[in-house]
Amino acid sequence: MDFIKFENVEREYKIGGDIIKAVDGISFSLSQGTLNVVLGQSGAGKTTLLNLLGGMDSPTSGKIVVSGKEISGMSEYELTEYRRTQIGFVFQFYNLVPNLTALENVQLAEEICPNTLGALEMLKRVGLENRINNFPSQLSGGEQQRVSIARALAKNPQIVLCDEPTGALDSETGHKVLRLIRDVSKDLGKTVIIVTHNASISEMANTVLHMRDGKIAKLQFNEHPKDVEEIAW
Amino acid sequence: MVKGALFIKSLRDIQKSKSQFISIFIMATLAVFIMTGLDSIWYTVEKHSYNMYQSTNLSDLWVTVANPSEQQMWGIGKIEGVELVEKRFTAYADTDLPGGPTLQVYALDDLSILDQPKLQKGKFGKSSGAVLDSKFAEVYNLKIGDFITIKLNGVWMRLQIEGLALNSEHVFAVKNTATITPDHSDYGFIIIRTNSLKSVYGQKVYNQISVKTAQGSDLASVVDRAGAYVGDNLIGITLQKDSSSVSSVNSRIQQFKTLSLVFPVLFLLVTALITQSTMVRMVENQRPQIGILKALGYSKRSILWHYTSYGVIVGVLGSILGLLTGPNILGRILIYQLKLTLAAYSLKINYGHFVFVLLLILICTGGVSFFACRQLLSDTPSVLLRDKPPKSGQHIFLEYIPSVWQKMKFSSKLIARNIVENKGRLLMSTIGVMGCTGLIISALTVRSTLSGIGDYTYGTTFTFDQKIILDTNKTSSKYLKNLELDGIAQQLEESAVQVIFPDGSQKMEPVSITTKESPLIHLQNIDGTPVYLPENGVLLTRKLCKERGINKGDIIRVKLTGKGYVSVPVEEIAYVASGQGIYMTDIYWESLGETFKPTSLLVKWKGKPDVKFLDSDIVTDLATRDSMQNSLSSSLGVVNFAVMFLIVIGASLAFVVLYNTGILNFVERTRDLATFRVLGFHHDEIRYLVLIENYFSVLLGMLSGIPVGRFMSWIIASSIDERLDLLGNISLRDVMIAGAMTIFFSCIVNKIIADKMKEIDIFEALKSVE
Repeated sequence: MDFIKFENVEREYKIGGDIIKAVDGISFSLSQGTLNVVLGQSGAGKTTLLNLLGGMDSPTSGKIVVSGKEISGMSEYELTEYRRTQIGFVFQFYNLVPNLTALENVQLAEEICPNTLGALEMLKRVGLENRINNFPSQLSGGEQQRVSIARALAKNPQIVLCDEPTGALDSETGHKVLRLIRDVSKDLGKTVIIVTHNASISEMANTVLHMRDGKIAKLQFNEHPKDVEEIAW
Repeated sequence: MVKGALFIKSLRDIQKSKSQFISIFIMATLAVFIMTGLDSIWYTVEKHSYNMYQSTNLSDLWVTVANPSEQQMWGIGKIEGVELVEKRFTAYADTDLPGGPTLQVYALDDLSILDQPKLQKGKFGKSSGAVLDSKFAEVYNLKIGDFITIKLNGVWMRLQIEGLALNSEHVFAVKNTATITPDHSDYGFIIIRTNSLKSVYGQKVYNQISVKTAQGSDLASVVDRAGAYVGDNLIGITLQKDSSSVSSVNSRIQQFKTLSLVFPVLFLLVTALITQSTMVRMVENQRPQIGILKALGYSKRSILWHYTSYGVIVGVLGSILGLLTGPNILGRILIYQLKLTLAAYSLKINYGHFVFVLLLILICTGGVSFFACRQLLSDTPSVLLRDKPPKSGQHIFLEYIPSVWQKMKFSSKLIARNIVENKGRLLMSTIGVMGCTGLIISALTVRSTLSGIGDYTYGTTFTFDQKIILDTNKTSSKYLKNLELDGIAQQLEESAVQVIFPDGSQKMEPVSITTKESPLIHLQNIDGTPVYLPENGVLLTRKLCKERGINKGDIIRVKLTGKGYVSVPVEEIAYVASGQGIYMTDIYWESLGETFKPTSLLVKWKGKPDVKFLDSDIVTDLATRDSMQNSLSSSLGVVNFAVMFLIVIGASLAFVVLYNTGILNFVERTRDLATFRVLGFHHDEIRYLVLIENYFSVLLGMLSGIPVGRFMSWIIASSIDERLDLLGNISLRDVMIAGAMTIFFSCIVNKIIADKMKEIDIFEALKSVE
């Protein structure tokens, strides 16, 4: 327990003259190797939460501890190091670098990390060994998302953060991607956090954080998470 | 302009991409600034000097002859095309003023109308009275009514100043070929009446026939026929365009004509390239807007004009600013540096050329914008409104060389692909940097070449301590030979002879006659090997040979005193930096039937200078090698200004292009860079990715800048002064300095971009996608 711990975390933004609390005093903890879903409408603060955990943003107040280290007080440089070694990101729109091939996109992550899992290895793992020399524009959305997953995992991070990973995909491809995320992270023992507004995805999670207006409305533990195939949306 | 709303849109768009449009504006301004600035200089000089020649009735040619006869005058007057013939007297005179300046005396008949002074004050009366050089008078604080004493033919003459004037033959007034810049405290003119000569010569004397021809007459044939008519008594014929002042003025006009065409080219090119990269990007980003405009029913033409107007607005504004500042700042500063003595400097702008450069600017801005958006317009609104197809990566040639490609880091691969993808931008920044390096190289080269002339002329060629000017009437070669001076001495006769070149053209050329051994004048080949005076022929300087197309072994014809022409072979060619002409030995000169009459004695003293000799009455003047070298290098003031100017415009080129490439590279790739940040790349690693392209173009630009610098140095060096033989060779040292400066400028730009990168929240780029 307590691999990831949020204590009274707040994040304020100034927009115009108004102060908006995107994350308003939330506390929770998650254990290692679990699959977790953050659920909420747009504007509920899920992405801010993800950014805070991913070291792309720092809280206005409160404490975030990951693997026994407090990241809430880290400097810019330390946060970059943290992202580099601990975090893998999967985005809704994949964010692959357009003029690098699939393999090179994964190598991009590999090059800056100390203990990688091997770019080619990971691309095989996501089933793209035949497309490694293709540019993103030559791949389908599902394939691009698989490259993005390979890229996130190749870094051998502790935590994989997924921001609406199926948001741009049709349901069949979405299922495949979700399964891949779950399988791979289970095999490798990664902690996964998926941010989504799609409630059905939450059925496959160990923990579900329901967010509303920057607060955690409900914290739900699933004793028996459903298999990906059983989920329908 | 276009309909109101669209116009407002273009203004807002321009403001949004202000750094790019400011760059276009700066480049357009600089192009016009330089072009109109340099243009106004030659245009002003040409107009003013032409007006002055007209108003003073400057002759088209002068026939120098001892005591011209009425018959000769009549004969020349009959030559086809000749309108007017007059005779006058001209000679150098010493003065009793401090520092011993020289005045060129012109004596004109009372009724003369040719070669008149351009009076600034007072009058030019009949019979007696003198008109003095107004600049000379200014230096010595002489006023109308004052007296000036000059020594002509060994006799002192006291003249009352009646008027102060300018003179068409003294617009660029230098005493001799060794003087580079005019010095009004050392040399001037005085114009008197031939009547005044009676007190010196006992009668009116003349030594020149001034000839005015009808416009468009064949001057070469006039020269030939006048020469033939005067026959053996001819000393020489000088055409107006070959006369010292006129030819110097013309060479400056030509110099600025060339420069005003060469320099703006770089800026126009960069203007076009920046506009291209800016507009292509803007039009691509505005795909949906173009779709909306089309869907709203705007015609193809009004949309095209809308996007063309971006370039046109900026180009026209830049051109206007350039026109306002170029002649007034650049023109005003530089024209003063030319040291020309013209009536009044009202700067004239060559509007014809301005319209020409404005058109070029419009092509480079508006025209380029037009083409940038033309291809998008063929799509239908529905296609345009749909999302842009994602940019596709491309395999590049390097990948087909696996041994190289596989060894490259991903970052190098990314950079390589990026560079190939943005060839236009790379071209822009490379050309900008090339221009920067080229301009700095040419600036430094011109500087070292000019300062090198002093060292070369007075370090290598001439090694005397003093040049002692002799009174030729009171000395002879034999007398000088028997002088027992404590040191090395070399006799030198400097005069001018009429020469007919192999191509049939003829001109008066300076001639230097000296002893065969020549211990104090060391002529060299262009590669530094010594060249000795030939025994049976003459030596010509390299530049003179080049101008007249003469090779070793060619025959030139030289006019002898009181006799006809004699053919002499060109046996040697030597490189002389300052002072072009003919060299020969005293023995050869005498073998042609002339007498060797040394005009000066070059001396390198062993101990102290021989005061007794220097005080003797055969010595009229004295110049030390140091003072001669100093006066040569004092002209470097102009050069320093030019060097600064070239460096500043070169730096501005590099700044603008590098800033643009850097910023565009950053702005266009924020999404990629944000991804890198998320993946855990540090700031400096990302900065490297963005700026490496700049360093790449800096490297390419610097290398290609070397030949450009070589070319520009050559153009500037060859047009700087016709009396100088400048090679414009670039030295390794200057190239290194120019390279270091270019790198320094690019480091500053990269620092500015890096700071700008820090200001921008890179994660915003990812968030905004949602």
